[in-house]
Amino acid sequence: MPTAQGPEEKLSEQLQRLLAAIEASGRAVSAKPKDALLQSIVDAAGAIFGAAAASILLVNEQENVLEFKVSFGASDHDLVGTKFPLDKGIAGYVVMTGQPLAISNVRQDTRFNQDFARSTGYVPTSILATPLLAGERVIGVMEVLDKLAASSFNLQDMNLLGIFANQAALAIERSQQMEQLQDTLVLGLKRLASADPEQPLTELMEALGKESGNSSELVELADAFNEISALGEPERRACYQVLKTFAEYRRSIRRMRA
Amino acid sequence: MSGDPNVPAWSEQFTAEAIRQLTSSGPLAGLTPAWAWGGSTGKGVRVAVVDSGVEYDHPALDDCVRGGVVVEYDEGAENYFRIEPEEKPFDSAGHGTACAGIIHALAPQAEIYSVRVLGKDMHGRAVQFAGGLDWATEHDMQVINLSLSTAKEEYFGLFHDLADQAYFKNVNLVSAVNNIPAPSYPSLYSSVISVAAHFGHDPFEYYYNPAPPVEFGAPGIDVQVAWNNKQYVISTGNSFAAPHIAGIVTLIRGKHPELTPFQVKTVLLACATNMRRE
Repeated sequence: MPTAQGPEEKLSEQLQRLLAAIEASGRAVSAKPKDALLQSIVDAAGAIFGAAAASILLVNEQENVLEFKVSFGASDHDLVGTKFPLDKGIAGYVVMTGQPLAISNVRQDTRFNQDFARSTGYVPTSILATPLLAGERVIGVMEVLDKLAASSFNLQDMNLLGIFANQAALAIERSQQMEQLQDTLVLGLKRLASADPEQPLTELMEALGKESGNSSELVELADAFNEISALGEPERRACYQVLKTFAEYRRSIRRMRA
Repeated sequence: MSGDPNVPAWSEQFTAEAIRQLTSSGPLAGLTPAWAWGGSTGKGVRVAVVDSGVEYDHPALDDCVRGGVVVEYDEGAENYFRIEPEEKPFDSAGHGTACAGIIHALAPQAEIYSVRVLGKDMHGRAVQFAGGLDWATEHDMQVINLSLSTAKEEYFGLFHDLADQAYFKNVNLVSAVNNIPAPSYPSLYSSVISVAAHFGHDPFEYYYNPAPPVEFGAPGIDVQVAWNNKQYVISTGNSFAAPHIAGIVTLIRGKHPELTPFQVKTVLLACATNMRRE
């Protein structure tokens, strides 16, 4: 380590220390509230339905599996983190088709006597599962098992669970966006800390462009907007107006199709 | 979509208060259920169930499953899917078995083929679905039950072509609309017979909706259905309404093999429970 530091090196060292702290605290604070919010949604759904169990499973597109994210119900806590393939069972079906499904009174044909589902542990007699949708994309599934006061889930239940699922999907989408934003910020600052002090922003842009997938497009968009803004207030307003009109047009198309 | 929040999307046209009385007159009033499907068992009609597969040896199916195929997503293949025969089809979820069971109960002598299109890979879903629909159309099926759909706009054109291809090949596509209010292809095309659920339980009780896109309402709420692992369950969804109509279409085509898809739709409309004949 050099005995005398210039102001750039000092700044760089401070930034790096700061970043380590941000990363560590980010892991600590951002993971928990997200799960806490989903947990509260699942708890509320479980309580309102009077269900023996309720859970949210998320799609992991890399591994083509569904993963239990949060669950409500006495025996289900060890389920969190459990993965299973997308082509299995009712949750898998709901994810693959994007359709909610209610089944109840599960019973085996009396002419057969296999140990089928009992070998998998908990065998529900009724289940209601609905997709978590982010636009057209299915990002997971929310399910409630065994309504305590009734033998089956009815249509009202299907609609009610849809409302909970919308909440959960929004929470998940928002937290994924926040995570992405945080990653981008940390990555950018990291590059800034180790950058050539004469061209820190070029380095930052390069780093974002190379390493952060979707967020690089956002940065490019912001960059373009910035460039136009720099031309003056009328240009900035025109640019904003064009984007707003386009967004409104896309929304109206969606409304018409829906 | 607005209205009663206690009714699933698209089914609100088929609540007791919403069903409209229709009238047919002239020669069309002469089309009755007795003429349309009386005495028919669907004998000789080939019906494809494009779904999660069909459990071929489920006791509810009485060996009516004649075979099937599995459509797998394959990035290396032409059109990104490959099709393999499945002599003894199985069901990955139970849903396809439920649909096959409903059709078989209505048309006990129809031949059912399983077209399994739900695989392990999210990315290939719509492609597999399209591949399965194409396979069924090209393999002399007369009726294809589609209790699934896609909401992806980029597949609008492809499914539209497939629906037209089926129509011109004399194949009736019977398609469930999605349970949630979103675009759902191919169910919203006019050449397809689109179906949502109503509250009734009589399998021959179905309604025509004079304000489409969803044209027919059939039982789909708390229906007892066959499920995989030789099970039976009570289930709810538009998915179970479609095979009721597919079963009736199978009966009509079994009795009147000369009819074309649009004639079949006319017969269905004329024989709907909310049709008064003068």
